[in-house]
Amino acid sequence: MAGTIRAQYPTSLRTVLVPCTGRVGADLIMRAFGRGADGVLVVG
Amino acid sequence: MLEADRHENIEIMSYSEVVKVDGYIGNFRVQVKRKARFVNEGLCTGCGSCTEACPIYVPNYFDENLSARKCIDIAFAQAVPAISNIERNSCVECFACVDVCDTDAIDFSQQDEIVELEVGTIIVATGWDLYQGKDYGYGTYDNVITQIQLERILAPNGPTFGHLKRPSDRARPKRVLFINCVGSRDLKTNEHCSVVCCNLSVKNSKLIMSEYPDSEIVVSYIDMRCGGKMYEEYYRRARNAGIIFIKGLIGKIEEDSKTKNLKVQLEPVGTDSVVEMEFDMVVLSSASLPSQGTNQIASVMNIEKTSDGFLKEVHARLDPINTKVPGVYLAGSCQGQKSIDLAVSQAKGAASTAGIPMKHEEYTMELIRAKPIDERCAKCYKCIEACPYSAISVNEEGLIVVDLISCRGCGICAATCPSKAIELAHYKDIQYMAYIDELLPLEE
Repeated sequence: MAGTIRAQYPTSLRTVLVPCTGRVGADLIMRAFGRGADGVLVVG
Repeated sequence: MLEADRHENIEIMSYSEVVKVDGYIGNFRVQVKRKARFVNEGLCTGCGSCTEACPIYVPNYFDENLSARKCIDIAFAQAVPAISNIERNSCVECFACVDVCDTDAIDFSQQDEIVELEVGTIIVATGWDLYQGKDYGYGTYDNVITQIQLERILAPNGPTFGHLKRPSDRARPKRVLFINCVGSRDLKTNEHCSVVCCNLSVKNSKLIMSEYPDSEIVVSYIDMRCGGKMYEEYYRRARNAGIIFIKGLIGKIEEDSKTKNLKVQLEPVGTDSVVEMEFDMVVLSSASLPSQGTNQIASVMNIEKTSDGFLKEVHARLDPINTKVPGVYLAGSCQGQKSIDLAVSQAKGAASTAGIPMKHEEYTMELIRAKPIDERCAKCYKCIEACPYSAISVNEEGLIVVDLISCRGCGICAATCPSKAIELAHYKDIQYMAYIDELLPLEE
């Protein structure tokens, strides 16, 4: 959706494809924080 | 309906409800409760002699309770199958019907019966019900009726044989007010638009006007939504016929206790004034709601609902027929209120869609499926609770088993499991961890 509306987002953003937002558990989010991410956006 | 009933491949089970659905596309096992009608369907010929003999009158639900019917009766004149039904709550068990029935079809010992069916695909077409709120004196004032009650009054086989008569004194109402959006488009009741009522007001006001050109008809509305093929032209013809359409809300309705006429305060938009008018009858365009059994059918079939309570499709615009359950399709108002032409289109679409896997005898699915890792499983069964598709069960050894056809590969189980004992093929934790690590390299 962000792509089709040509939305701009910062180059520091990294995307991870999931089959469903339900697949995103706390462990994945914590891993991202552990690796230094400032925030995690779960978008469905 | 009659043609469907006579078709050799179609079996109609009226007065029944679906109580359980197991299995998956191609192999659904459905339990249908056939409610006791106390009349043997194989023997009843629909002759109606039982109805004549019955001494008990009950409100006629088909006429929206505007007339009476017998306690044993055929649902309505064109009902298919034309078989009598006993309303046991009102029956006094005089057995007059039993005495008079030539084919001995009446059986007071009949019990509810569960029938098991094996089917490949399912189309849900459970329709809608009318909002019955007490707005504008409905249920209190005799001459405040709903559009559906007016439909019955205007029907040739209705309670007044098609003659326009108001309920209180059976006189012809000369001044009629239609109020649109009752219980609809209102955050206090239902947010959704009921879609069909604008055209229903146009149609019924035009019908009254053509029968009685001296009528004084006012339609009060929020917005007239007459979209669709030829509907705008239809609306214009109604305005040209002398029906007055006023944009504005109704403030208050009071009944004159003697004449039973209705005194109405109307606030037309943009005039800054309140108009008081008197009408002989008020017709409410009440909201369309999901039919009463919608919650039950949604839970037994595992179909989701949208916020308005209607059954949810895969995608409101791009896939309005499929549900998230493969092999289960939607047709008509159960998915959201719609006009007859759209209901017909959707029904034909659903029939064709269901026909594809039935004809091919084949169903293609993705291989993204959950997979249990038995040696890690602590048997907490949190995954079973978490699965929205009831795809996970327990075997004799207490280990979890994933039904690969019911599983839709969402991965909620994998995210829920505290022991990492269930993983999603191609979307495993180890893959995600590597992915995240690569995206976010640690600074040296």
